[in-house]
Amino acid sequence: MDELGQRIDHLLAISPYGLPPDEREPLLLELLKDELEYASERNSGVRNYIQHWPSGIRSARRIADLPYLPVGLLKRQPPISLVEPREIVRTLNSSSTTGQTPSRIALDSSTARRMTKGVVSIAQDFIRSARRPYLVVDVPGSVGGGPELGARGAAIRGLQPFATEVTYCLRLDENGDLSLDRDKLSQFAEARRQSPVLVYGFTYILWKHLVKPLSAANICLGMADLHILHSGGWKLLQSEAVDKATFNEGLARVFGCSPDRVIDFYGMVENVGVIYPDCAEGNKHVPAFGDVIVRDPLTLEPVPEGEQGIVQVCSVLPTSFPGHLLLTEDLAKVVAYDGCRCGRRGMCFRFMGRVATAEVRGCGNIERYRQ
Amino acid sequence: MSELIQSINSPDEISLIGRKLRESLSAAEITPNTVLEVFEAWAATLGQRDTADIPGVQFLRIWLRRGTLEPIVVRELGCEALDGEWMKDGRARLKAFPLGVVGHWPAGNIEIQPLLSMTCALLGGNACLVRVPNGLDDITRRLISKLDECDEKSVLTARVGMLVFEHDRWDLQEAMARAVDGAMVWGGAEAVLRVRSLPFPHWARLAVFGPRISVAAMDADSWCNSQEQESWCQRIARDVWQFDQQACSSPQALFLEKRAGHSFDGFVLALKKAFELENRLHPRQTIAAGLTTAICHARASWLLDDLANRACFSAAPDWTILVGRGAEIPKPTQGKTLTILEVDNLLNPVEKFDGNVQTLGLAMADADREATLTSLAARRGVDRIVKLGRMHVFAPPWDGVDLIRPMVRVVRHVASMG
Repeated sequence: MDELGQRIDHLLAISPYGLPPDEREPLLLELLKDELEYASERNSGVRNYIQHWPSGIRSARRIADLPYLPVGLLKRQPPISLVEPREIVRTLNSSSTTGQTPSRIALDSSTARRMTKGVVSIAQDFIRSARRPYLVVDVPGSVGGGPELGARGAAIRGLQPFATEVTYCLRLDENGDLSLDRDKLSQFAEARRQSPVLVYGFTYILWKHLVKPLSAANICLGMADLHILHSGGWKLLQSEAVDKATFNEGLARVFGCSPDRVIDFYGMVENVGVIYPDCAEGNKHVPAFGDVIVRDPLTLEPVPEGEQGIVQVCSVLPTSFPGHLLLTEDLAKVVAYDGCRCGRRGMCFRFMGRVATAEVRGCGNIERYRQ
Repeated sequence: MSELIQSINSPDEISLIGRKLRESLSAAEITPNTVLEVFEAWAATLGQRDTADIPGVQFLRIWLRRGTLEPIVVRELGCEALDGEWMKDGRARLKAFPLGVVGHWPAGNIEIQPLLSMTCALLGGNACLVRVPNGLDDITRRLISKLDECDEKSVLTARVGMLVFEHDRWDLQEAMARAVDGAMVWGGAEAVLRVRSLPFPHWARLAVFGPRISVAAMDADSWCNSQEQESWCQRIARDVWQFDQQACSSPQALFLEKRAGHSFDGFVLALKKAFELENRLHPRQTIAAGLTTAICHARASWLLDDLANRACFSAAPDWTILVGRGAEIPKPTQGKTLTILEVDNLLNPVEKFDGNVQTLGLAMADADREATLTSLAARRGVDRIVKLGRMHVFAPPWDGVDLIRPMVRVVRHVASMG
């Protein structure tokens, strides 16, 4: 494990987007093979799965050939773990759609540490490394104080290493609903108008609880030197017909900054330590310590450039749960396997939405068993 | 688009088509023999290259042949019905007359089902209003245009209206229901429940087919027989492959009876080879991404659930064999995912059937034991018990229901001066 940890840390120390693909793949492949063997030794269920994979781990020549787990398996209770219960320092919960079971991710201290390092490594490539005042468009309670952390809390915490101070500008009203604390926001804006600021919020929360009320009151905060990061997806905004351009312009208008200061990033708690911010070209990139494989649903082979398929995320960071190779329920299009005009090396892609839930179809579809 | 298939935008269009169909019905009576003649000609046109790629078209060709359908007419309506004659019944006589306009709500997963359903009602002398499921309009148009070509006198095409509209256009679904005297409804639970709730006239008769699932079972003498193993495995592969395992007649699980001292390994290997062969012969052309993720989930979940569970599967989502133990039918995944379950006695899983099992595909060396199992399965709600490899052979009764008779009225005449 120590040797594995050192190799992971080595990858974490590399500039996240500097390695050419032909140098990165062999590094990741060998490390992931060892991590899969480590996972096999630690979890008999994982071992049973890997043993039945159509090809052996050691003979794999591509990351795409290694056994991957469907992300839905991480919804199991108790969480699938590679460490003893006493070693778990935190459990992350995904933001599941209403009525669905969230994923539960067990983190030990090493994985938690690498998670923070990974997010910082990626984020500083987009927003520079300096610490600055951090405005969180959420309530303080979303971060929680206990061992359980939700997706919003994880994202907020992930950016805290960039903060000199943290200010939350939402509060819960008497009905328990989120509402904008205008006084607090005004005070923050007044005091930091001349300094660089980092803003983070879930996409729909930013729109609903910040852009809409401030736009309605025709308020501009006059904060030009900031970066606004947001995540959480667009599903809830689709019903309001808010696209990315409208969203960015709305945020820029209320903060008084340029729309290119708004950075959408994709992240999933299951893919610990990896976030995928949009580059200036509107593409998402994979860091040195992870990979993304977009698989053709028909063959499960990686798709060529320009094609779309099911997203598999890969990360060498977790050692407390088998989250190294996860087949997600998202769709993406591969823009290029290298050569994005933003200068970042490696493959770049764009998310294309969720995989429609598979339903047992046709006349063989039984909704419920008879009594 | 063929004139027989129309894109529908308003309920009035459906009412108009319904009225025209009734006029055709009133204009003339057609006998099953007349229908069979046209079907025979239609079958001959379906051998051509332009329809050869349609899944199920070869079955449709065979289905439309007189040799297939005439015995069905005779069994369900009597031999006199072929020429529209009355059948003696003591001092009375009986004859089948059409219900009128029959609506068809086929399932979207079987390409030829709109036409199969329609043929059943036409044999009863009815007119047909068929809702063509989304995605099947092109295939159905190609097949029905062949009928259009060979039915020069419009004997049948005057009695057919095929409608294309979105499934969530409830105003159109309701208009269709109001326009019919009977309905043949096929599909999944949700679709069937929704169609059943449409405002049919109080006299309308409904024949509902599905939703059901199917399973296969082999006794130890059958799966242990090394000489016949390959043949049985090919039959199982054929049953799994058709309709991408989405049909009510598709086997989702295969129960194998345990035999002391015999391992399943050889059988599973033979089945793997049969699946690989079938996949080479009939590769999947397309798949929904959701089904791919469901297949991947089923594989991983099976192996993580129980360390005694085993599996073999292709790197692609082409096929999956899950191997374990237990008498319960697992939740179906479809997409050529077959669960093999070891049981001590084949009676054990059959005793657990809850009425949802439509077809039991069997391979049993002992005829007496098969008879016992058949009786138990029938009592537990199974409607079809057939040899493995023939699970999809479409023949009445289907779901325990005849195919022509439900859409006819049998008129009894007792002569007043007799």
